[in-house]
Amino acid sequence: MQLDKQQLPPEKFERVAIDNESAERITKPSLSFWQDAWLRLRKNKAAVVSIFVLLLLILMAFIGPHLNGHSGDHQEIRHANLPPKIPGIEKLGIFDGVGNMGGQKVDLYEMKKVDEYYWFGTDGLGRDLFTRLWEGTQISLFIAFVASIIDLVIGVAYGGISGYFGGRTDDIMQRIVEILIGIPTLIVVILMILIMDPGIMAIIIAISITGWIGMSRIVRAQILKYKSQEFVLASRTLGAGDGRIITKHLMPNILGIVIINTMFTIPGAIFFEAFLSFIGIGLQPPAASLGTLINDGYKVMEFQPYVLLFPSIVISVLMIAFNLIGDGLRDALDPKMKD
Amino acid sequence: MVKYIGKRLVYMFLTMFLIATATFFLMQTLPGSPIASYSKLNESQRAIVEKKYGIDKPKPVQYAIYMKNLAKGDLGTSFVFKGKSVNDLLSTRLKPSMVLGAQAMVFGTLIGILLGMLAALRQNTFWDYGSTFLAILGSSIPSFVFASLLQYWVASQWHLLPVGLWNDGWKSSILPSIALAMGPLAMAARFIRTEMIEVLSSDYITLAKAKGANGFEIAFKHAFRNALIPLITVLGPVTAGLVTGSLVIEQIFAIPGIGEQFVSSIMTNDHATIMGTTLLFSVFLIVVIFIVDILYGIIDPRIRLSGGKG
Amino acid sequence: MKRNKMLLLLALSLVLSVVLAACGGKDKTEEKDATPNKESDKGTEQKEEAGEPDAEQVLNLIESAAIPSVDSAIVEDAVGFNVLNNVNEGLYRLNLENVAEPAMAAEEAEVSEDGLTYTFKLRDAKWSDGTDVTAHDFVFAWQRAIDPATGSPYGPFMMSGVIENATAISEEKMDKSELGVVAEDDKTLVVTLERPVPYFLSLMSFGTFYPQNEAFVTAKGDAYATNSDNLLYNGPFVLTEWDGTGDSWVYKKNEQYWDAENVKLDTINVDVVKDSATAIKLYNDGKKDRAGVSGDLALQYSTHAEAIVQPETSVFYFKFNQEKDGKETPLANVNIRKAIAKSFQKEDLADVILANGSIPANFLVPTDFAFDESGKDFRDISGDLLVYDAEEAKEYWQKGLDELGVTELELEILGGDTELSKKMDEYFKAQLEGNLEGLSIKLKEVPFSVRLDLDTNQQYDIQVSGWGPDFQDPISFLDLFVTDGTNNLMSYSNPEYDALIESSKDELALDPAARYDAFAKAEKILIEDDAAIAPIYQRGLLQLQKPYFKGLAVHPFGADYSYKWAYISGKE
Repeated sequence: MQLDKQQLPPEKFERVAIDNESAERITKPSLSFWQDAWLRLRKNKAAVVSIFVLLLLILMAFIGPHLNGHSGDHQEIRHANLPPKIPGIEKLGIFDGVGNMGGQKVDLYEMKKVDEYYWFGTDGLGRDLFTRLWEGTQISLFIAFVASIIDLVIGVAYGGISGYFGGRTDDIMQRIVEILIGIPTLIVVILMILIMDPGIMAIIIAISITGWIGMSRIVRAQILKYKSQEFVLASRTLGAGDGRIITKHLMPNILGIVIINTMFTIPGAIFFEAFLSFIGIGLQPPAASLGTLINDGYKVMEFQPYVLLFPSIVISVLMIAFNLIGDGLRDALDPKMKD
Repeated sequence: MVKYIGKRLVYMFLTMFLIATATFFLMQTLPGSPIASYSKLNESQRAIVEKKYGIDKPKPVQYAIYMKNLAKGDLGTSFVFKGKSVNDLLSTRLKPSMVLGAQAMVFGTLIGILLGMLAALRQNTFWDYGSTFLAILGSSIPSFVFASLLQYWVASQWHLLPVGLWNDGWKSSILPSIALAMGPLAMAARFIRTEMIEVLSSDYITLAKAKGANGFEIAFKHAFRNALIPLITVLGPVTAGLVTGSLVIEQIFAIPGIGEQFVSSIMTNDHATIMGTTLLFSVFLIVVIFIVDILYGIIDPRIRLSGGKG
Repeated sequence: MKRNKMLLLLALSLVLSVVLAACGGKDKTEEKDATPNKESDKGTEQKEEAGEPDAEQVLNLIESAAIPSVDSAIVEDAVGFNVLNNVNEGLYRLNLENVAEPAMAAEEAEVSEDGLTYTFKLRDAKWSDGTDVTAHDFVFAWQRAIDPATGSPYGPFMMSGVIENATAISEEKMDKSELGVVAEDDKTLVVTLERPVPYFLSLMSFGTFYPQNEAFVTAKGDAYATNSDNLLYNGPFVLTEWDGTGDSWVYKKNEQYWDAENVKLDTINVDVVKDSATAIKLYNDGKKDRAGVSGDLALQYSTHAEAIVQPETSVFYFKFNQEKDGKETPLANVNIRKAIAKSFQKEDLADVILANGSIPANFLVPTDFAFDESGKDFRDISGDLLVYDAEEAKEYWQKGLDELGVTELELEILGGDTELSKKMDEYFKAQLEGNLEGLSIKLKEVPFSVRLDLDTNQQYDIQVSGWGPDFQDPISFLDLFVTDGTNNLMSYSNPEYDALIESSKDELALDPAARYDAFAKAEKILIEDDAAIAPIYQRGLLQLQKPYFKGLAVHPFGADYSYKWAYISGKE
């Protein structure tokens, strides 16, 4: 059983060399933080669907009002309170223009001799609800985005300054926040609206006036966490100034959480606008928002459910989409979740 | 600890002082006079009435008097309910609001916790998606829409519970409580899910599993307790949400509570009542936040309460 | 006080989004006809009376707002006056036919030749604590209401220029004891007027003129009328379970009431419900026996089997402000005003948007409200003024623009912040902008309290305003717009108009026919010639009322309802 060493041909042997290059080689393609986040976000089906839904809604908010030839503020009083009727689908027994009149089902289009189609019906002044719905969505989104951006700017600046400079500055700034946080937001908002001339600007300012506090607290906590870490220290040792540290080292690290938080403040603002409209101090007519549309519909829920239904669906879908995207982003941007 | 509480109390007092001051001066800038309803009075009457309400004096003097009375716990006299103190006005309306708020809080948090646990323990299953969806829905449907749906179906159509009013004992409180509970429910469910998932992946749970603890034991004895602690921190925002919700829910169900009163007094420009209600809400919120912070320190030994902590 | 009544109205259309079952209307029955006459009213009434009262006489009602006060000197809102009317009683009370008939007075008053002195004989009636109602109680209450220290909104408003020395007392120039009301003995009350007032007896049913028991009021001091125990009652019901600010209260039959045998209801439970959808749900659920239907729901419920249209005497109109910040506004131009007044379709507004029995108004003094000696409606004497006509409107508009030397105008419409008023404002905007080229309308919708402030300071262009009468006479409306009138507040002034109104109070006071002619002329000047205001509609209220709830008296002025004759018949 003994093998003769000579029987093994030398050419079968190869010399092994330690190759420092290949040991360090990264097999996967190099990904930036954002590419990486996107990859992970893509795996989250709910978030991806939400992004598409959201984009679709935003798209509709802009093209929706021009789709069916009716204008959002044209009143056709004889066409008031018509139920939805959509060509094609009407044959299926839904969206066929049959509505409630004094407790009975009648084809109101026939009764009122209306030839046009109002896809989502009309309101009490004979305005096309389809057009108004998308105009309302547009305004609601506008309010929400602007309010969130204001929140973001003030919140990041306040929290950043407070956290980065620390010490006495932080102390004073945090005392102020502590006092502000004790004030019931809604009450402040209502009082602000009462003082200002009602309208979109008033609502945005009112929402922003306390909205930034949450953001500032989060940003401050993050800044506190990062500013004492080694890479910041290293950078400082190498002579980086405050400006460079903030923009190049701290900001990229907290950006993720800021975006996530914004994803949650946007639906919050939409909600708030709806709420203000409900208690009657929101938008001024004839402008429509999702809130005012829901408010109109809620009263006639029993007889003309479609007035409430469509804006409710849109607002709920918007909220769900923003929430799911927010959740998805949180998972995607959390380094702990890395595979 | 004592030092910390003392310091917090000072800040609470300061906060209240500032809120009171801010509301007072905000009131002065509100369009319309509180005695608008007196505009029919002739000059002699007007002077007498203004004197009676003390609004004939310069603003700083009015402010001083208001703060002095406030220090004694006196919120002033209502401009609408003739000759009645705001204290009386609010105290009779406190009970319904408290009952609804407490029920909503307890009910919402409990169901929310259950949903959240279910989602965490059965992660990425139907249960998880179902309860997450429910939680998101709860925070997505405006509370007034949800309230009217409840009112329409449960009360008007199925006649299970009263449509509204506050005269049918506990039955009157069920529907508004449920409507109010949606906020806390959604918040608790999402929060508990996140925390539980985190806790479940921690080493001591793995250890517990290795030692042969069964699923039930792990879920409740080990994981749940640790996941619950952070939930306390969101009680503050949840309470604020309840206050907001009460404004519309009480109106829809015709409940004679504080929220309903707040909306009415805004509509009638009853300055004294608006200020009183704002202060009441603020005190409530501040006290809740304070208690939460203290509780948090007591329950979680990892948190050190020190005088220096923000 | 008119202001306060206006408050009411506005407040009605306002905050209380709903059930503003508040202001009076005359119909008590299922009259869908918007212009019933008194006879037909009576007819339906009798028909309705048929039916035996049930054993259990408990009524469940809804109010639109809490009670701010039940002190007759202080009350100024619809709810307060309504409560007062049912728990207390003045010298006269409006009956089912809305005619003032002696109540605390035992018989019709004795009126002097010159119409200046009224002598009332009081009947034997008791307060709810068993003490007698005396003439002194009236003297005390009236003096208290006119005393500036009381701060009564309605006291000086109702009494000034009517009762002797009232104006001087309210301005602190005389002592309240100088007021022209004297108790000759316990049962005889003599009232001296400043000038003849043809509608004086209908005033006597108004809350401000109710008696108050001096000993009781003095003993209670500041606590008087702060809750149901701190009040005395001499009306058909007593108030119970009212804590002074609460959202519910209960009326119980007053056994001490002089006419208690004709009061059939034992208990009335009242709850405040501000949301009209909720009110209707409570009604449908059988928890409440009557509910107002407002806004969008009106159209749906107008064909409901239990729906009743309750015509009212409140009239709504545009006020055109002619002077803002000391400068003339474009609305100072009469052609601009006429153009706007004629440019909106009132029928569509009433039928489709309001849909609650409101009728288009081409007048100020409402229909079915004031009648001359022969029972002829004032509206038949005065006729339609300033009707909708888009073509004419365009002509006036062009003329007005030319006179002003502009091609475009931006005007603001100031309105209420309720659902309904917002919807109406949107309609006005579309109509006006559609018919008048170069006009752009800005809408401003604010809570009532804010609106009042803007009104007082004349900070508006066009305002949607309304008025409900306090007593049964065209002067209740026409007095509003005299130069510097307390509710003018739009710098309208026409000496001819002023002279006509003044003459109706002076030389024509005792000549009803000439007086009505003067009113008709004045109304024509105000609306047709000057277009100082643009009438919109006369309000109706759509109410759901259970068929077993009968005998409710609905009043066109003063308090809204009397439950004295109401009863339950055929409920289960």
